[in-house]
Amino acid sequence: MTSQAASHAEHDPNIGITGLDHRKMGMWAFLGSECMFFGSLIGTYLSYKGKSLSGPTPHEILNIPLTSVSAFVLLMSSVLMVLALAAVQRNDMKWAKIWLFSTATLGAGFVGFQIFEFTHFVHLGLTLQTNLFGSTFFTLTGFHGAHVTGGVIWLLALWALAVRGKLGPEDALKVEICGLYWHFVDIVWIAIFTLVYLIP
Amino acid sequence: MAQSHATAQAHGGGGGHATVATYLRIAVVLAIVTALEISLIYIPGLPSHVLVASLIVMSIVKFALVVGFYMHLRYDAKLLTALFVGPLTIACAIILALMALFGAFLLLPRS
Repeated sequence: MTSQAASHAEHDPNIGITGLDHRKMGMWAFLGSECMFFGSLIGTYLSYKGKSLSGPTPHEILNIPLTSVSAFVLLMSSVLMVLALAAVQRNDMKWAKIWLFSTATLGAGFVGFQIFEFTHFVHLGLTLQTNLFGSTFFTLTGFHGAHVTGGVIWLLALWALAVRGKLGPEDALKVEICGLYWHFVDIVWIAIFTLVYLIP
Repeated sequence: MAQSHATAQAHGGGGGHATVATYLRIAVVLAIVTALEISLIYIPGLPSHVLVASLIVMSIVKFALVVGFYMHLRYDAKLLTALFVGPLTIACAIILALMALFGAFLLLPRS
Protein backbone atom coordinates (compact mmCIF):
# COMPACT_ATOMS: atom_id res chain seq x y z
CA MET A 1 0.00 0.00 0.00
CA THR A 2 1.36 3.40 -0.86
CA SER A 3 1.59 6.14 1.77
CA GLN A 4 -0.93 8.18 -0.25
CA ALA A 5 -3.41 5.30 -0.24
CA ALA A 6 -2.82 4.73 3.47
CA SER A 7 -3.47 8.39 4.19
CA HIS A 8 -6.67 8.27 2.15
CA ALA A 9 -7.75 5.09 3.92
CA GLU A 10 -7.40 6.78 7.32
CA HIS A 11 -9.94 9.42 6.29
CA ASP A 12 -12.42 7.38 4.29
CA PRO A 13 -13.70 4.13 5.84
CA ASN A 14 -14.78 2.94 2.38
CA ILE A 15 -11.20 2.85 1.09
CA GLY A 16 -9.44 -0.42 1.87
CA ILE A 17 -5.77 -1.45 1.89
CA THR A 18 -5.87 -1.79 -1.89
CA GLY A 19 -6.62 1.93 -2.19
CA LEU A 20 -9.91 1.07 -3.92
CA ASP A 21 -13.42 1.74 -2.70
CA HIS A 22 -14.98 -1.34 -1.04
CA ARG A 23 -18.34 -0.67 -2.69
CA LYS A 24 -16.88 -0.58 -6.18
CA MET A 25 -14.74 -3.68 -5.57
CA GLY A 26 -17.80 -5.43 -4.14
CA MET A 27 -19.82 -4.63 -7.26
CA TRP A 28 -17.06 -5.93 -9.56
CA ALA A 29 -16.80 -9.14 -7.49
CA PHE A 30 -20.60 -9.50 -7.70
CA LEU A 31 -20.50 -8.98 -11.47
CA GLY A 32 -17.80 -11.65 -11.69
CA SER A 33 -20.12 -14.11 -9.91
CA GLU A 34 -22.93 -13.04 -12.25
CA CYS A 35 -20.70 -13.93 -15.22
CA MET A 36 -20.52 -17.51 -13.92
CA PHE A 37 -24.28 -17.56 -13.28
CA PHE A 38 -25.15 -16.48 -16.81
CA GLY A 39 -22.31 -18.60 -18.21
CA SER A 40 -24.03 -21.66 -16.73
CA LEU A 41 -27.40 -20.69 -18.19
CA ILE A 42 -25.94 -19.91 -21.64
CA GLY A 43 -23.92 -23.16 -21.56
CA THR A 44 -27.07 -25.13 -20.72
CA TYR A 45 -29.01 -23.46 -23.54
CA LEU A 46 -26.28 -24.21 -26.07
CA SER A 47 -25.88 -27.78 -24.81
CA TYR A 48 -29.56 -28.54 -25.35
CA LYS A 49 -29.79 -26.59 -28.62
CA GLY A 50 -31.29 -28.74 -31.37
CA LYS A 51 -32.12 -31.59 -28.95
CA SER A 52 -35.84 -30.87 -28.47
CA LEU A 53 -38.01 -33.85 -29.41
CA SER A 54 -40.99 -31.67 -30.34
CA GLY A 55 -41.65 -28.12 -31.53
CA PRO A 56 -41.82 -25.20 -31.60
CA THR A 57 -38.15 -24.82 -32.50
CA PRO A 58 -36.11 -21.57 -32.39
CA HIS A 59 -36.18 -21.28 -36.18
CA GLU A 60 -39.99 -21.42 -36.21
CA ILE A 61 -40.65 -19.00 -33.38
CA LEU A 62 -37.91 -16.41 -32.82
CA ASN A 63 -38.71 -12.94 -34.16
CA ILE A 64 -35.31 -11.48 -35.04
CA PRO A 65 -36.46 -8.04 -36.30
CA LEU A 66 -38.41 -7.40 -33.09
CA THR A 67 -35.57 -8.61 -30.86
CA SER A 68 -33.08 -6.51 -32.85
CA VAL A 69 -35.08 -3.41 -31.94
CA SER A 70 -35.16 -4.37 -28.26
CA ALA A 71 -31.40 -5.17 -28.31
CA PHE A 72 -30.74 -1.75 -29.83
CA VAL A 73 -32.91 -0.09 -27.18
CA LEU A 74 -30.93 -1.75 -24.37
CA LEU A 75 -27.61 -0.89 -26.05
CA MET A 76 -28.58 2.78 -26.33
CA SER A 77 -29.70 2.83 -22.71
CA SER A 78 -26.05 2.16 -21.81
CA VAL A 79 -25.08 5.36 -23.65
CA LEU A 80 -27.64 7.35 -21.65
CA MET A 81 -26.31 5.78 -18.44
CA VAL A 82 -22.76 7.07 -19.03
CA LEU A 83 -24.19 10.49 -19.91
CA ALA A 84 -26.09 10.43 -16.58
CA LEU A 85 -22.87 9.62 -14.70
CA ALA A 86 -20.94 12.36 -16.49
CA ALA A 87 -23.74 14.86 -15.67
CA VAL A 88 -23.71 13.92 -11.97
CA GLN A 89 -19.92 14.22 -11.86
CA ARG A 90 -20.02 17.79 -13.21
CA ASN A 91 -22.97 18.68 -10.93
CA ASP A 92 -25.34 19.20 -13.85
CA MET A 93 -28.35 17.76 -12.02
CA LYS A 94 -30.90 18.89 -14.59
CA TRP A 95 -29.34 16.66 -17.25
CA ALA A 96 -28.54 13.95 -14.70
CA LYS A 97 -32.27 13.64 -13.95
CA ILE A 98 -33.12 13.57 -17.67
CA TRP A 99 -30.53 10.90 -18.50
CA LEU A 100 -31.36 8.74 -15.46
CA PHE A 101 -35.06 8.78 -16.27
CA SER A 102 -34.40 8.15 -19.98
CA THR A 103 -32.18 5.18 -19.14
CA ALA A 104 -34.90 3.74 -16.90
CA THR A 105 -37.49 4.34 -19.65
CA LEU A 106 -35.44 2.48 -22.27
CA GLY A 107 -34.87 -0.33 -19.76
CA ALA A 108 -38.61 -0.52 -19.11
CA GLY A 109 -39.14 -0.55 -22.88
CA PHE A 110 -36.83 -3.54 -23.18
CA VAL A 111 -38.78 -5.37 -20.45
CA GLY A 112 -41.98 -4.49 -22.33
CA PHE A 113 -40.60 -6.06 -25.52
CA GLN A 114 -39.71 -9.17 -23.53
CA ILE A 115 -43.15 -9.45 -21.93
CA PHE A 116 -44.71 -9.15 -25.41
CA GLU A 117 -42.33 -11.82 -26.77
CA PHE A 118 -43.01 -14.22 -23.91
CA THR A 119 -46.79 -13.76 -24.21
CA HIS A 120 -46.61 -14.30 -27.97
CA PHE A 121 -44.56 -17.49 -27.53
CA VAL A 122 -47.02 -18.87 -24.98
CA HIS A 123 -49.85 -18.24 -27.46
CA LEU A 124 -47.84 -20.14 -30.09
CA GLY A 125 -47.55 -23.10 -27.71
CA LEU A 126 -44.06 -22.61 -26.26
CA THR A 127 -43.90 -22.70 -22.47
CA LEU A 128 -41.32 -23.73 -19.85
CA GLN A 129 -42.68 -27.28 -20.01
CA THR A 130 -43.07 -27.68 -23.79
CA ASN A 131 -39.59 -28.86 -24.73
CA LEU A 132 -35.87 -28.38 -23.96
CA PHE A 133 -35.79 -25.18 -26.03
CA GLY A 134 -38.69 -23.70 -24.03
CA SER A 135 -37.13 -24.62 -20.68
CA THR A 136 -33.68 -23.25 -21.43
CA PHE A 137 -34.88 -20.20 -23.40
CA PHE A 138 -37.36 -18.96 -20.80
CA THR A 139 -34.94 -19.63 -17.92
CA LEU A 140 -32.05 -17.77 -19.57
CA THR A 141 -33.94 -14.79 -20.96
CA GLY A 142 -36.31 -14.67 -17.95
CA PHE A 143 -33.42 -14.32 -15.51
CA HIS A 144 -31.93 -11.61 -17.71
CA GLY A 145 -35.27 -9.80 -17.81
CA ALA A 146 -35.47 -9.99 -14.01
CA HIS A 147 -32.02 -8.40 -13.81
CA VAL A 148 -33.11 -5.59 -16.16
CA THR A 149 -36.23 -5.03 -14.03
CA GLY A 150 -34.04 -4.76 -10.92
CA GLY A 151 -31.84 -2.26 -12.75
CA VAL A 152 -34.87 -0.15 -13.76
CA ILE A 153 -36.01 -0.01 -10.12
CA TRP A 154 -32.48 1.01 -9.04
CA LEU A 155 -32.35 3.75 -11.71
CA LEU A 156 -35.76 5.09 -10.73
CA ALA A 157 -34.65 5.18 -7.07
CA LEU A 158 -31.60 7.27 -8.06
CA TRP A 159 -33.79 9.50 -10.22
CA ALA A 160 -36.21 10.00 -7.28
CA LEU A 161 -33.26 10.99 -5.06
CA ALA A 162 -32.11 13.46 -7.73
CA VAL A 163 -35.62 14.94 -8.03
CA ARG A 164 -35.72 15.44 -4.24
CA GLY A 165 -32.31 17.13 -4.34
CA LYS A 166 -30.64 14.31 -2.43
CA LEU A 167 -28.21 13.31 -5.18
CA GLY A 168 -25.15 15.40 -5.96
CA PRO A 169 -21.63 15.07 -7.31
CA GLU A 170 -20.52 13.61 -3.94
CA ASP A 171 -22.84 10.67 -4.74
CA ALA A 172 -21.29 10.02 -8.16
CA LEU A 173 -19.94 6.66 -6.97
CA LYS A 174 -23.50 5.50 -6.23
CA VAL A 175 -24.46 6.34 -9.82
CA GLU A 176 -21.28 4.72 -11.15
CA ILE A 177 -22.00 1.46 -9.26
CA CYS A 178 -25.57 1.43 -10.59
CA GLY A 179 -24.08 2.10 -14.03
CA LEU A 180 -21.73 -0.88 -13.69
CA TYR A 181 -24.72 -3.11 -13.00
CA TRP A 182 -26.67 -1.59 -15.89
CA HIS A 183 -23.83 -2.02 -18.39
CA PHE A 184 -23.44 -5.60 -17.18
CA VAL A 185 -27.03 -6.50 -18.06
CA ASP A 186 -26.34 -4.89 -21.45
CA ILE A 187 -23.24 -7.02 -22.13
CA VAL A 188 -25.09 -10.16 -21.06
CA TRP A 189 -27.74 -9.32 -23.66
CA ILE A 190 -25.02 -8.76 -26.28
CA ALA A 191 -23.98 -12.39 -25.67
CA ILE A 192 -27.55 -13.75 -25.51
CA PHE A 193 -28.64 -11.87 -28.64
CA THR A 194 -25.80 -13.36 -30.67
CA LEU A 195 -25.81 -16.88 -29.25
CA VAL A 196 -29.59 -17.40 -28.97
CA TYR A 197 -31.11 -15.23 -31.69
CA LEU A 198 -28.56 -14.60 -34.44
CA ILE A 199 -26.54 -17.83 -34.68
CA PRO A 200 -28.67 -20.31 -36.63
CA MET B 1 -22.60 20.78 -26.99
CA ALA B 2 -21.22 21.79 -23.62
CA GLN B 3 -21.42 18.28 -22.34
CA SER B 4 -18.98 17.02 -24.90
CA HIS B 5 -16.23 18.89 -23.08
CA ALA B 6 -17.00 17.36 -19.74
CA THR B 7 -14.58 14.82 -18.43
CA ALA B 8 -15.64 11.82 -16.39
CA GLN B 9 -14.04 11.95 -13.00
CA ALA B 10 -12.14 9.20 -11.27
CA HIS B 11 -14.00 7.32 -8.56
CA GLY B 12 -13.20 4.55 -6.15
CA GLY B 13 -9.49 4.52 -6.88
CA GLY B 14 -9.88 4.38 -10.65
CA GLY B 15 -8.92 6.93 -13.27
CA GLY B 16 -11.90 7.41 -15.60
CA HIS B 17 -10.71 9.77 -18.32
CA ALA B 18 -13.14 9.07 -21.15
CA THR B 19 -14.95 12.18 -22.34
CA VAL B 20 -18.60 12.43 -23.30
CA ALA B 21 -17.43 12.77 -26.91
CA THR B 22 -15.69 9.39 -26.54
CA TYR B 23 -18.87 7.86 -25.13
CA LEU B 24 -20.82 9.12 -28.15
CA ARG B 25 -18.22 7.83 -30.62
CA ILE B 26 -18.39 4.41 -28.95
CA ALA B 27 -22.21 4.55 -29.22
CA VAL B 28 -21.95 5.10 -32.99
CA VAL B 29 -19.53 2.17 -33.33
CA LEU B 30 -21.84 -0.06 -31.25
CA ALA B 31 -24.82 0.88 -33.43
CA ILE B 32 -22.87 0.18 -36.64
CA VAL B 33 -21.60 -3.19 -35.41
CA THR B 34 -25.13 -4.17 -34.31
CA ALA B 35 -26.49 -3.22 -37.74
CA LEU B 36 -23.74 -5.30 -39.38
CA GLU B 37 -24.57 -8.28 -37.16
CA ILE B 38 -28.24 -8.18 -38.10
CA SER B 39 -27.63 -7.62 -41.81
CA LEU B 40 -25.14 -10.50 -41.90
CA ILE B 41 -27.79 -13.11 -41.14
CA TYR B 42 -29.81 -12.03 -44.20
CA ILE B 43 -26.96 -12.57 -46.67
CA PRO B 44 -27.94 -15.63 -48.71
CA GLY B 45 -25.40 -18.38 -49.25
CA LEU B 46 -23.00 -17.24 -46.54
CA PRO B 47 -21.20 -20.35 -45.18
CA SER B 48 -22.38 -21.07 -41.65
CA HIS B 49 -18.84 -21.21 -40.19
CA VAL B 50 -18.11 -17.74 -41.61
CA LEU B 51 -21.42 -16.42 -40.26
CA VAL B 52 -20.90 -17.89 -36.79
CA ALA B 53 -17.28 -16.73 -36.56
CA SER B 54 -18.19 -13.21 -37.73
CA LEU B 55 -21.09 -12.91 -35.30
CA ILE B 56 -18.96 -14.08 -32.36
CA VAL B 57 -16.12 -11.68 -33.24
CA MET B 58 -18.55 -8.75 -33.55
CA SER B 59 -20.23 -9.55 -30.23
CA ILE B 60 -16.79 -9.76 -28.56
CA VAL B 61 -15.96 -6.31 -30.00
CA LYS B 62 -19.22 -4.86 -28.59
CA PHE B 63 -18.64 -6.58 -25.25
CA ALA B 64 -15.08 -5.22 -25.00
CA LEU B 65 -16.12 -1.67 -25.94
CA VAL B 66 -18.84 -1.55 -23.28
CA VAL B 67 -16.64 -3.08 -20.58
CA GLY B 68 -13.58 -1.02 -21.50
CA PHE B 69 -15.15 2.40 -21.99
CA TYR B 70 -18.63 2.50 -20.45
CA MET B 71 -17.63 0.43 -17.40
CA HIS B 72 -14.28 2.32 -17.31
CA LEU B 73 -12.26 -0.87 -16.92
CA ARG B 74 -9.74 0.49 -19.43
CA TYR B 75 -8.95 3.35 -17.04
CA ASP B 76 -9.50 1.63 -13.68
CA ALA B 77 -7.19 -0.34 -11.41
CA LYS B 78 -5.89 -3.68 -12.71
CA LEU B 79 -7.32 -5.41 -9.64
CA LEU B 80 -10.85 -4.61 -10.85
CA THR B 81 -10.00 -6.08 -14.26
CA ALA B 82 -8.79 -9.25 -12.52
CA LEU B 83 -11.96 -9.41 -10.42
CA PHE B 84 -14.04 -9.44 -13.62
CA VAL B 85 -11.89 -11.23 -16.19
CA GLY B 86 -11.08 -14.15 -13.86
CA PRO B 87 -14.72 -15.23 -13.37
CA LEU B 88 -15.49 -14.37 -17.02
CA THR B 89 -12.80 -16.87 -18.08
CA ILE B 90 -14.32 -19.50 -15.78
CA ALA B 91 -17.76 -18.73 -17.28
CA CYS B 92 -16.40 -19.31 -20.81
CA ALA B 93 -14.82 -22.57 -19.62
CA ILE B 94 -18.18 -23.64 -18.13
CA ILE B 95 -19.93 -22.98 -21.46
CA LEU B 96 -17.34 -24.95 -23.44
CA ALA B 97 -17.29 -27.80 -20.89
CA LEU B 98 -21.09 -28.12 -20.90
CA MET B 99 -21.16 -28.11 -24.70
CA ALA B 100 -18.43 -30.76 -24.81
CA LEU B 101 -20.31 -32.90 -22.24
CA PHE B 102 -23.45 -32.78 -24.36
CA GLY B 103 -21.67 -33.67 -27.59
CA ALA B 104 -21.65 -30.29 -29.34
CA PHE B 105 -18.06 -30.83 -30.51
CA LEU B 106 -18.39 -34.46 -31.64
CA LEU B 107 -16.43 -34.93 -34.84
CA LEU B 108 -17.43 -38.55 -35.29
CA PRO B 109 -20.89 -40.05 -34.78
CA ARG B 110 -21.47 -41.96 -31.56
CA SER B 111 -21.10 -45.74 -32.00
